[in-house]
Amino acid sequence: MRRSLMATAGMIAALAASTARAEQGISATEILLGEVEPFTGPPALLGIAYNIGTRLAIAEANEAGGVDGRKLRLLVEDDGYVAARTLQGLRKLIEDDKVFALTSISGSGTAVAALPYVDKTGIPTMASVAPVTPLYNPPRKAVFCVGQSYEEGTYQAARYLAAKFPGKKWGILTQDDDYGLALRTGFTRAVKEGSLKVVFDAQYNKGQRDFSSEMLRARAAGVEIFIAGGVISETVAMVKELEKLGSKPTVAIPWPGRLTATLKLMGAASDGIYAVDYVEPENSAAYRSLQERAKRVVGEEEAKKMNRYTLAAYASTRVLIDAMRRCGNKLTRACTIAELEKTEGFETGVMGPVSFAPGMRTSSQSLRILQAEYATLSFKTVQ
Amino acid sequence: MQYLIDQLVSGVAVGAVYGLVAMGFALTYKATGVVNFAQGEIAMLVAYVAWSMAEAHPESPWLAVAGALAAAIVFGLVVERFIMRPMLGEPIFSTVMVTIALAVILRSATLLLWDAYPHGLELGVGRGLIVIGQTGMRTAQLGVIAALLVAMASVWAFFRFSRIGKAMRAVAADERAAQLMGISAGRVHAVAWVASSTISGMAGVFFALLYDVSPTLFQVGIKGFPATILGGLDSVLGSGFGGIVIGVVENLAAGYAKPSVKAVAGLVIIIAVLLIRPFGLFGKREIERV
Amino acid sequence: MRSGDFKERTAQLIVLNDSRVAWAWAAASLGALVVAPYALNAYHLSLLIVILITGTGALGLHVLTGSTGLISLGHVGFLVAGAYAYAVSVTRYGWSPLVGFALAGLVPTAVSLVVGIPSLRLKGLYLAITTLAFASIINYFVLELDWLTSGARGMAVPRPTIAGVAFDSEPRFALLCLLVAVVTLFAVLNIERSRVGRAFRAIRDNDIAARAMGISLYAYKLRAFMTSAFICGIAGALFGLYLSFVSIESFPFMMSIEALAILIVGGLGSTLGAVIGTAFIVLLPELSRLALGLIGTQAKALLSTGAYELRTILYGVAIILFLRFEPRGVVGVWRDAKRLWVQWPLRY
Repeated sequence: MRRSLMATAGMIAALAASTARAEQGISATEILLGEVEPFTGPPALLGIAYNIGTRLAIAEANEAGGVDGRKLRLLVEDDGYVAARTLQGLRKLIEDDKVFALTSISGSGTAVAALPYVDKTGIPTMASVAPVTPLYNPPRKAVFCVGQSYEEGTYQAARYLAAKFPGKKWGILTQDDDYGLALRTGFTRAVKEGSLKVVFDAQYNKGQRDFSSEMLRARAAGVEIFIAGGVISETVAMVKELEKLGSKPTVAIPWPGRLTATLKLMGAASDGIYAVDYVEPENSAAYRSLQERAKRVVGEEEAKKMNRYTLAAYASTRVLIDAMRRCGNKLTRACTIAELEKTEGFETGVMGPVSFAPGMRTSSQSLRILQAEYATLSFKTVQ
Repeated sequence: MQYLIDQLVSGVAVGAVYGLVAMGFALTYKATGVVNFAQGEIAMLVAYVAWSMAEAHPESPWLAVAGALAAAIVFGLVVERFIMRPMLGEPIFSTVMVTIALAVILRSATLLLWDAYPHGLELGVGRGLIVIGQTGMRTAQLGVIAALLVAMASVWAFFRFSRIGKAMRAVAADERAAQLMGISAGRVHAVAWVASSTISGMAGVFFALLYDVSPTLFQVGIKGFPATILGGLDSVLGSGFGGIVIGVVENLAAGYAKPSVKAVAGLVIIIAVLLIRPFGLFGKREIERV
Repeated sequence: MRSGDFKERTAQLIVLNDSRVAWAWAAASLGALVVAPYALNAYHLSLLIVILITGTGALGLHVLTGSTGLISLGHVGFLVAGAYAYAVSVTRYGWSPLVGFALAGLVPTAVSLVVGIPSLRLKGLYLAITTLAFASIINYFVLELDWLTSGARGMAVPRPTIAGVAFDSEPRFALLCLLVAVVTLFAVLNIERSRVGRAFRAIRDNDIAARAMGISLYAYKLRAFMTSAFICGIAGALFGLYLSFVSIESFPFMMSIEALAILIVGGLGSTLGAVIGTAFIVLLPELSRLALGLIGTQAKALLSTGAYELRTILYGVAIILFLRFEPRGVVGVWRDAKRLWVQWPLRY
């Protein structure tokens, strides 16, 4: 009796061990990771850059011996920034290719749309392209976001400027989507707390280029501090329009537009604008070093397409790989999720230390306020 | 008062860009009866060619302008000869769908050949500021208004005085009768496509000068379309004028009502026009009711 | 002895299909489709669901464009209206999913009146123009009516439970989509053999003759437009359910174009064509994936990220080639093949 009990226990243990071995996406030599990004259409700008970061982090991990002696391999799907295709790409990766974990689930709207499905499958997921709040609030067990919310970004930028330039008149112009909404929410909080005086507050239609009427309105209202809540082209158009009108408010921009390309496009008018971000700026040693390594891995041509999203991807994927490594030879999805949750002060070299906690699915990266310098086409940290 | 003048001036400037695109629409429609839904994409392609040339030879901006012009002409010819002419005699639905497919191809090809980043077009001109009274304008804004006026004047002279212009009017009035009179409809179509892609290419280059070159530039076509409906699909001059009206209405709507209304102001005009005057302000009264 | 195919009664002329073989095939494929959701792997199942939903929408557009010959460039607007009608009634107000589906059909129908009444009075391309404008205007309303639609945030839509049956799992949801698609297909086929359907076709083929026969062009065009909007609204609600999330970003403008492409590739004017075209266009990326797979990994790495853009180009090229060389679409090819099979070696 006793012997048979022990035998049963042994069998159960063996079974448990064998199921652990048979965890989806892990073979004797390989571990499969998956990623869905927009590689087509205008949003390819961030999708391709993000993908470079993921590939770099994986290549470096493989050079360092992989995870538990297995090499990592990345499978990608293109969604063209269309939610239905994001979902389809994810289904293919998870249920057809049987990947072990996801390094990205595309941008803001598409990621939010894919969330219910990803959550149901319970696959370890990094969602760090566009850190919008619905991705981690309420927290989902397996979905982690390395980054900081747009709300917090605008909030801190506004608080900084309010402290530096007290008693000014404020204006804000945002895009009419979830991204614009997030900026607006953070701004509203700062306005309430600092009793700021807002004289101009409007939204523009996605894809708009001509901001003459809006900027005239802002000038007429006497805006002195202006939050230009566009992506790239929109932010550029707003600043150049202000320059044309001879109106010189203090301008602050969120990170999607914080690129060298933006400064180049704005020209001299970009000098002195404020920005907020959580990754290292392009003139930093960390960025340059990453650029050199990326050239080696993805080639000279592809490396030209990198930008701040490459850094976000690199950090996010490093965090995932590190959690997988800590599982050692007991690598399972459950273990990876548990280890991700225990991530504490993890240094990636491209942003502040990354930490998660139980019930805390955003790393809430520390932000810094930057100021543009047109002469060198760069952003300098001011706080 | 100054506020109103500023709104009007910038409205006219942006409207001039729409007006050029709208003239492109109207030219192909008048001569060939096809609404070319790839008009904005053609403008984008020409702007990208100009940008590439300007990047390769920053010292001679005229080369970029000449290159863009050549690209627009060649492109108009190629599209007419190899894509549109084989569709002659097919139902209107098919020809319109072909232009839509062309638009899809051009959008992707732009991303394939260039990249998704916005770029600034540097021609050495257009960025300067001019102050008239108290109203500041960029030279490119003045330039695009002048370009629209020149384009309208030359189109008028073309239809009025040139042989091929008169032939085009004849083809527009009755294609079969025109052919019986010895007019080559094919040649007229080719000229119309070249003129249309040149004019919308100009719009693309000015747009690039005023804002930037990016893969979303094709949306200038969506903006120009209401203008041509307002002016009349078959009225080239009317379409140019329609652009100015749309630009001004958009700016006044955003300047005095809610800024987000701007996006739909032009579209609401379309619906209103169709209700009241379906043939547009200057179009021929030949649209039939059912 | 019957030596040919004679139709002796009206019933024989308008019967859905007089061939037993065709019915047998239809029944067999329906049977296969009922079993398929439980046999396919998850990815192929998601393709099947997309085909079923897209097919429903394509049938909706087919009533307007294929049967009646009117072009709409903004049918995605009706998908948006339908999806939001469902989401608002079920998620926001907690009404039954059946009410949600009813509203998903009725709201777009009502909207279609607003768009159709001014534009269908006119001949020509005017419907294409107003629908183009309409697709943008409806997005504007969704964003502005924040209190109702949650604006840019979008709305979550849980899978429905209808009459005690929970359609929460993918195979079950696929069966729901199959049911809707089959009902739509039969409805469309039946409309086509009714007086109304014949009127639609008369308008498409020759509107002057149609009017001479006493068909009110305006009324019938409006009817076609409303029917089309109703079907597309239902498809929109299903699409929202498939994503479990509704936002205007889920319905890009390209969907309108895609739907037209489906009809053209399938064979304009043919109901079977709409079905085949749907499968063809939805599976086109898969085909190109296979084609790229044949090139080998080495070349794929060279093409790198540009390869995806090539696929989109392929899509445009397919439309142009079909319009240019095979305006009857895949259905035309299929009929030729069938005739060749039956009559070979004779030509006819």
